[in-house]
Amino acid sequence: MLSRVANNLYWMGRNIERADHLARYSKANYFSSLDAPILKTYDRKFVLESMLYMAGIFDMEDINERDVLFKIGLDAQNPNSIISNVTSARENARGARNAISTDLWEAINKYYHLVINYPPEIYLTTGLFDFSQMISDQTSIVGSKIYATLLHDEEWAMILIGMYIERGLQIIRIINSKLNDIYKIEIAGNTETEMSFEWSNLLRCVESFDMNRKYYRSIPNREQVLEFLMLNAACPRSIAYALNGVRRYEEKISRNENQDGNTTSFKIRKLAEQYKYLSYDEFKDDIYKLLNSTQNKLMEIGSEFEKKYLSF
Amino acid sequence: MNGILDSQKFENLHFDEVYTSLNDPKDHYKTIVERFNQLSISDFQRINNDVKTAFFNQGITFAVYSEDNKANERIFPFDLFPRIIPNDEWMKLEKGVIQRNKAINLFLHDIYHKKFILKDKVVPADLIFSSKNYLKEMVDFTPEGGIYTHISGTDLIKHTDGEYYILEDNLRCPSGVSYVLSNRMALKKSLFELFNKLKVKTVYQYPEHLLEILKTVKPANTDTPNVVVVTPGMYNSAYFEHSFLAQKMGVSLVEGRDLYVEKDFVFMKTIRGPQRVDVIYRRVDDEFIDPLCFRKDSMLGVPGLMNAYRAGNVTLANAPGTGVADDKAVYNYVPDIIKYYLGEEPILNNVRTYRCEREDDMKYVLENIDKLVVKPVDESGGYGITIGTTLTRGQIEEVKVRIKDTPRKYIAQPIMSLSVHPTFIEETSEFEPRHIDLRTFSLMGKNTEYILKGGLTRVALKRGNLIVNSSQGGGSKDTWVLD
Repeated sequence: MLSRVANNLYWMGRNIERADHLARYSKANYFSSLDAPILKTYDRKFVLESMLYMAGIFDMEDINERDVLFKIGLDAQNPNSIISNVTSARENARGARNAISTDLWEAINKYYHLVINYPPEIYLTTGLFDFSQMISDQTSIVGSKIYATLLHDEEWAMILIGMYIERGLQIIRIINSKLNDIYKIEIAGNTETEMSFEWSNLLRCVESFDMNRKYYRSIPNREQVLEFLMLNAACPRSIAYALNGVRRYEEKISRNENQDGNTTSFKIRKLAEQYKYLSYDEFKDDIYKLLNSTQNKLMEIGSEFEKKYLSF
Repeated sequence: MNGILDSQKFENLHFDEVYTSLNDPKDHYKTIVERFNQLSISDFQRINNDVKTAFFNQGITFAVYSEDNKANERIFPFDLFPRIIPNDEWMKLEKGVIQRNKAINLFLHDIYHKKFILKDKVVPADLIFSSKNYLKEMVDFTPEGGIYTHISGTDLIKHTDGEYYILEDNLRCPSGVSYVLSNRMALKKSLFELFNKLKVKTVYQYPEHLLEILKTVKPANTDTPNVVVVTPGMYNSAYFEHSFLAQKMGVSLVEGRDLYVEKDFVFMKTIRGPQRVDVIYRRVDDEFIDPLCFRKDSMLGVPGLMNAYRAGNVTLANAPGTGVADDKAVYNYVPDIIKYYLGEEPILNNVRTYRCEREDDMKYVLENIDKLVVKPVDESGGYGITIGTTLTRGQIEEVKVRIKDTPRKYIAQPIMSLSVHPTFIEETSEFEPRHIDLRTFSLMGKNTEYILKGGLTRVALKRGNLIVNSSQGGGSKDTWVLD
């Protein structure tokens, strides 16, 4: 496989995954805010700020709903927007066109056209839910084409490693972002019920609400949600699951050739194992510390991987 | 119920591909006309829209940039009414195209070696040496198997006399074959039952044949050649075709930046380190393939590629320097070239061509511009062409000035009447006669050749327009050769 093509595939995976998280986060937060029980602190600006934080946009001076929604969703000038990610995914797929199946290419191309032709006025007035749902549906279609129409070889692993690295980073970012929101609500002195609303909201942001309910069979609380989203390797939206994914597909590419302690393979294995044997009590006092160190390690693994395989 | 083709009338000014002078469909079109007449316009529009959507989703598009710099993608217009060529007509055409390509290949070898044809004054030497496409880097070098034009595209038209005429040869990187395959796929999906009634020759083996041909010209020092397609990149207008062919052949699609040359061998950069490349089907023009030899500012090429090529460690298809033979001024001599090397009469006609650098010809051209098509010899894509009958007096004067300034740059031909074929026009929701031509695709390898049965029928969608190039608002049709 050409390094340039590997680069395209890897970033295609990352872009697809990122667009999905961005859309879901905006949707979940925005819609849950509409009838939130904690209206005092939970004004619209609060939600919009949270959405901007998640989208990595820190340079907006006048925060108003239309501009924020546009900037996150359909602003092609903003490299972190959904439209920019979908466009990059498609450009990367085009660059690797002959390495992927016709089915997958057409699915991505269709997805791209749906996004770029989505009327901004509708998106900004009545279409936010529909738009986000479309992103989620299209991501599923693309995902199933990746799974079912490609040979499960190195090229396939290249897409998936990109997706799982991105998933890990996005989940960390989402948890961080919501912890930040929850902290603000906490210091404003809200009740347990109001807090559980926020924990449910975090689960919705990573599409894990139903899974969590099924697993714990109780109203979500801090411990359950964090344990679930960080450590539960059976939940496809957890950090542990994403790390296992990165490890699995990295091994497919590195073929376990070098077991040296300095290799990327070693680092990813070590990180995944750390999550395997971790309990909530061990990190509950400083969640940020664990999240930040995981984020840093994952980013380091990503850049080492890129340097080793994707530079040309 | 009226059939959707009932309003079609025989076109008496041009050769009508479908109808006889009695307004009846010709024999080989009867089945399809009958089938089309069973459809209502709304049926037809629905099928037409489905096909357009499919093309769009497949990414068979080109980008048009609007004022706000936003790229809008458009599909290449495709007409559902196929052009049909009866087998006997095709066989003659195929023989003629093969004959022509063989002669041109011998001609290329000759002008880069002993130059007999120039010494014998069959073709004027200055015509060859003054061409910017004659590459000194190719002199005294014989490509693997003696093959220069592995892939050629030959453009033909049918005149009012019902005869095919060669319009031009495309010997560098002829494009369009991916549309032939995509058009066929689209038609098979939308009008499948027609394929049960008519025996249409397949086009699907083209990529397989292309790969086989490329393998026959592998360098002698390898048994298992690594074949690649080289593209200028995904912003090139033909990128769809480059990726399509690479994918169908199952080979890597590479860009110049994926390759490098070391000790006269070419390598591609893979995730496992360098991998040797043996045969390159390059879709990058001569002047961009190697910045050490040709254009120094080329970002698309591979430094040292020509050295590797001349050392026999890599094969380039087509060979560099073939452009000297598809120059529109050399076109005029192709019938003589065929006679010279093969000792045969040309099977296919050339269009009479006036070379403006000849005094007599220039005089004739200047006096008759209103009746002639004037073409620059070194442009492609239909650019710079003027058609006498459409020019104002002022424009005629402008053309005259251009010709007098650079006579070598222009040739002129009588206005050939391209045949017409009913074509669905979306603006009027009706079929109307439109001018068509045909590009055939032929392959030549070591001791083997292949010609795609049919080819790309291009159609000028604007009423009365004679220029069929896609860059000038042309569309295409599927082309059926019947058994």
